Amino acid sequence: MSAISIRNLSKTYPVPFRRLRAFFHRPVKEPVEALRDVSFEVDTGEIFGLIGRNGAGKTTLTKIVATLVQPTGGAVTVHGHDSVVDDEHVRRLIGLSTAEERSFYWRLTSEQNLMFFARLHGLSDRTAKERIKDLFARLELEEVARRRFGELSTGNKQRLAVARALLSNPPVLLLDEPTRSLDPLAAARMREMIRSLAQQDPPVTILFTSHNLAEVETLCARVAIISRGRIRAIDTPKNLRGLTSGSEMVHITISNGEKISFTRQHNDDRLDERIRELQKDGVKIIDVETERATLLDVLERYEAADYTDGGGL
Amino acid sequence: MNALRLLPRRIFAFVARDFRLFVSYRMQFLLRIISILAVVTTLFFISKIFAGFTDPQFSQWRDPLATWLTGLAVLNYFMTGFSSLANSIRQEQMQGTLESVLLTPINLPTVIVASSAWDFLETTFFSFLYLFFGRVFFGVEYRGSFFLAVVFLLLTTVVLACLGILSASFAMVFKRGDPFGIFLGAGSALFSGVFFPTQLLQTHAGPTLGSISLILPATHGLQGIRQVLIEGHGLAQVTQPLFTLLGFLVVLLPFSLWVFGRAVRRAKREGSLIQY
Repeated sequence: MSAISIRNLSKTYPVPFRRLRAFFHRPVKEPVEALRDVSFEVDTGEIFGLIGRNGAGKTTLTKIVATLVQPTGGAVTVHGHDSVVDDEHVRRLIGLSTAEERSFYWRLTSEQNLMFFARLHGLSDRTAKERIKDLFARLELEEVARRRFGELSTGNKQRLAVARALLSNPPVLLLDEPTRSLDPLAAARMREMIRSLAQQDPPVTILFTSHNLAEVETLCARVAIISRGRIRAIDTPKNLRGLTSGSEMVHITISNGEKISFTRQHNDDRLDERIRELQKDGVKIIDVETERATLLDVLERYEAADYTDGGGL
Repeated sequence: MNALRLLPRRIFAFVARDFRLFVSYRMQFLLRIISILAVVTTLFFISKIFAGFTDPQFSQWRDPLATWLTGLAVLNYFMTGFSSLANSIRQEQMQGTLESVLLTPINLPTVIVASSAWDFLETTFFSFLYLFFGRVFFGVEYRGSFFLAVVFLLLTTVVLACLGILSASFAMVFKRGDPFGIFLGAGSALFSGVFFPTQLLQTHAGPTLGSISLILPATHGLQGIRQVLIEGHGLAQVTQPLFTLLGFLVVLLPFSLWVFGRAVRRAKREGSLIQY
C-alpha cells in the first residue's frame, strides 16, 4: 500500500462573502484555483520531491495532506486513512516541518516547547523527555535546550522545527525547505539524517518540498513538478532531466592537459567508444566531466510551456 | 474514546505551557495583585459614604462593599467564561502557533477548551483575591452556602461559555469585530448589576433599557450568588434565577455548538483557520 495516495485532488479557495459583496456593489475577486486534478502516490520509505515556483500549489498540497485545509474535490489518504473523514488519525501519522519561525512559543525554552507538543501527541512525560533528549542529540541542539526559542539562531529554530516533526515518530514526514537557513555543513548533516530516516526500519516516507533543486536531485527518488496547480511531470530526477533534452556535453581531460569535448545522446555508445579509442592510442585520461540538464532547466521549460501553450514540453 | 482519555493530559499540557508563559512575566502578576488591593481599598472608602443610607427595597445592597466585591469577583469570572474561548483562538492565530497545535492529533474544540483552562485558574485566583482582601482587611462578612454559590457560578460560567463559543465562531470566520464581545463586554458591567441595583435602570432609564439586564445571563447569575452569599438564602429561595439560567443553557448550548461546527468547516474550506 502507498504511504500517501493523492487522487484527483483539486482546491479552489472561495472568496469569502462573495454574494454579500456583490450585493453591495463592492469589487468581487475571482475564486483562486490552487490545485487542479492532482494525482500521485508516494511509496513507503520513498523520499518524494515536490518542486515548483512560489504560488504553484506546493503549500496548499502539503496543507491538505496535513489536514489543515479541506480539498474542494478528490481525496488524500495517508496509510489508507482519509485526510478529511479521518483527519485526527492522519495527524497521528504525519509530522510537518516548515520554515515558519512563528510556530513556536518565543518565551518558552526549546525543551519546554517540545514538551508541550509531545504532551499534545499523548506521549507520557517520561517518554517525551527521552525522545526530546534523543532528538536534541541527533539534531545537535543540546546546547540550546534550555534557551528560549526567541534567542535561538534561525538555523537552530529550523532544526527545532524538524525535531518537533519527529517527536511522535511519525511514519510520514512533510518537510518544507528543511535546510533553508542552515549553513552548508549543517545542511549536509540534515540531508544525511533525512536519508537515514527513509532507510531505517520501519522506514519513514518523506514528502519533500524545496527550492534548492540540487538538494531535491540528491535526495529524492522521484520528483513531481507542479505549476499553476497542476502536476506537469513525475519521474526520477534522471528521467526528468532526460525529458528536456536527450543530449549531454562530455569533456574528457587527457594527460597533456588537452580537453576533448563532444555531445552525446543519453545512453548511446559514444563515450565508451571515445574512451576505448584514447586507451588504444595509449593516452592517459585524467578526468571526465558531463554537463547535463539540471532540474532547474526542466522546471524552467515546463514553466515556459505552461505560459505559452498551456501544455507539455 | 481515546480523545476523552487523553483530554486531562492535553488540558495539563496547555495549563503547564500557560503557567510557564505566565511566570515569564512576573512583574505583571505582582502589579495585578497590587491593583486588586487598591480597588478593594477604594471601594471600602466609597462604601463608607453610603453607610446607613441604603433603601430597604435593595436588600442585597445593605453592605455595599460586600455587594461590589462579589460583583467584581463574579464579573471577572463571567467575562473569562465568555471571552477566553475566543481569545484562545485569536491569540494562537496571532502568535502563529495555531497551525502547529492543530497538526497534533487534537481536535479544535479540545484546543479551545484546553487553552482556556489556565484563564479559568488564573481568574479563580484573582476573583478569590477580591473576596479575600475584603474579608481580611475590611471585615466583610459572607454567609450562606458557598456550595450553592459555586453551583451558580459554574452554571452562569457555562451559559456564558456558550456565548463564548459563538464569539469564537465569529473569531474564526470574521477574525475581528465580534458583536457578542462588544455587547457583553461593554454591557455586563452596566446592565447586570455589578455596581448598582438593576431596578435603578428601570426607574431612571426607562423600561426598554431597564429590560436589557433581564436578557443578560450575568444578571441572573449575580442575583443568585448575592442572594446566597449576602442574604443567606437557601435553594428554595433562589429557584427563579436558577431556572432562568437553566433555560439559557438549554437554548444556547446546542445552538452555539451547531454554529461552531459550521464555522470550523467554513474556515477549513477557505483555508483561513490560521489567519487573523
